[in-house]
Amino acid sequence: MTRYANPELRDKLAAEYVLGTLAGRARARFQSLMRYDPALRRTVADWEARLVPFAHAGKEIAPPGHVWRAISRRVGRAQRRAGWWESLAFWRTFAVTSAAFVVALGVAIGMMPRPEPPISTVAVMSDGSGKPAMVVAWPPMKAMRDPHIRVKIVQDHPTMAPSTSWELWLLPGGKAAPVSLGQVSLDELQVMKLPKAVTARMQGAWGVALSVEPAGGSPTGAPTGPIIFKGECVKIL
Amino acid sequence: MGTSPDPLAERLAGLLGQCALGNQRAFADLYTLTSAKLFGVALRIVRRQDWAEEVLQECYVNIWNHAGDYAAARSAPLTWMTSIVRNRSLDWLRRPQSETTGEEYEIAVEIWQDQAPGPMERLVAAGESAALARCLEQLEAKQRQSIALAFFHGLSHSELADHMKEPLGTVKTWVRRGLERLKGCLSGT
Repeated sequence: MTRYANPELRDKLAAEYVLGTLAGRARARFQSLMRYDPALRRTVADWEARLVPFAHAGKEIAPPGHVWRAISRRVGRAQRRAGWWESLAFWRTFAVTSAAFVVALGVAIGMMPRPEPPISTVAVMSDGSGKPAMVVAWPPMKAMRDPHIRVKIVQDHPTMAPSTSWELWLLPGGKAAPVSLGQVSLDELQVMKLPKAVTARMQGAWGVALSVEPAGGSPTGAPTGPIIFKGECVKIL
Repeated sequence: MGTSPDPLAERLAGLLGQCALGNQRAFADLYTLTSAKLFGVALRIVRRQDWAEEVLQECYVNIWNHAGDYAAARSAPLTWMTSIVRNRSLDWLRRPQSETTGEEYEIAVEIWQDQAPGPMERLVAAGESAALARCLEQLEAKQRQSIALAFFHGLSHSELADHMKEPLGTVKTWVRRGLERLKGCLSGT
């Protein structure tokens, strides 16, 4: 860790990461360092601003038409309006690999503060590429005086576009529509207090999802923007 | 940072905002405006048409899913999208099973050996960064060549050394000094 405190070394590694010469294990290690180090991400962003425009000195080459057709099929499918949370195929698409799940489970267990009832339910939410992005975990609702859930962002570069917000949704059992759990900030660790009406529904929930909404949250009470993270609930106790 | 108003950047930032809200037509426009630029970037790094197509497809699906992550304050939209494509291409290239031939590297060498008016002019014309073009010109030929090879084609240090037929340490030094000078030159403006 102290090795990476040297500002010159950090700058050199960031430059070589952006250039592409940082390869193999060094590249993977650097990527995982970035995840927990916002200052390092800024150094990388500075190097991207310096070097990446260089990429467009090369010729433009139009991709063949079938590439766009494949992309729009994938995007259109994930975007299907009616009851996406009911669709098995939808969830299958975002299945997390078991190895990633174990890692995130470790994170969730590490999130348990000592004096609290033990976490009983965990949902590892993955992004569109199947990478863990956010972990949500909670103890049994009845065991808590002020019911809450814990949220941990594990994504590499969590950022939010201006005038948008992130809203977390509970997917209750059966065919019930998503229930808002409130808005999430970009803080790595968050505790969200739950209103009474929601706590009763936590028990049978089978998934959670995060949507991008206009600033201030969904205007309709249902997700209106794209779902960027989602995961199934797993009872661990 | 002298941020001049760039109509393309503003347009792309607006389209990304629309994508974050689920507007598929905006996404189609975004693709039309950027796909040839980004496909060129991917193709030069992975050096195989089918791989570049796959990378491009994944990246646009990612861009759609993460459009909400785009923070205008941090970087220019095209830089943000290009970084996604570059990183994915580099990760792709570092897979153990991807083997490529060395011939294609020649393209970059030729481009950058002869004072490279073509690409330089494109950089300037693109309004992207006249300062960058000027600073690249100030590098020593070997520094510029090794940086260009690494950047355009994703060559690692050892691949650079093989290709340039120079010792690994020498090549590493060219890259490091080249980057340092580039940074100094760009911040001195």
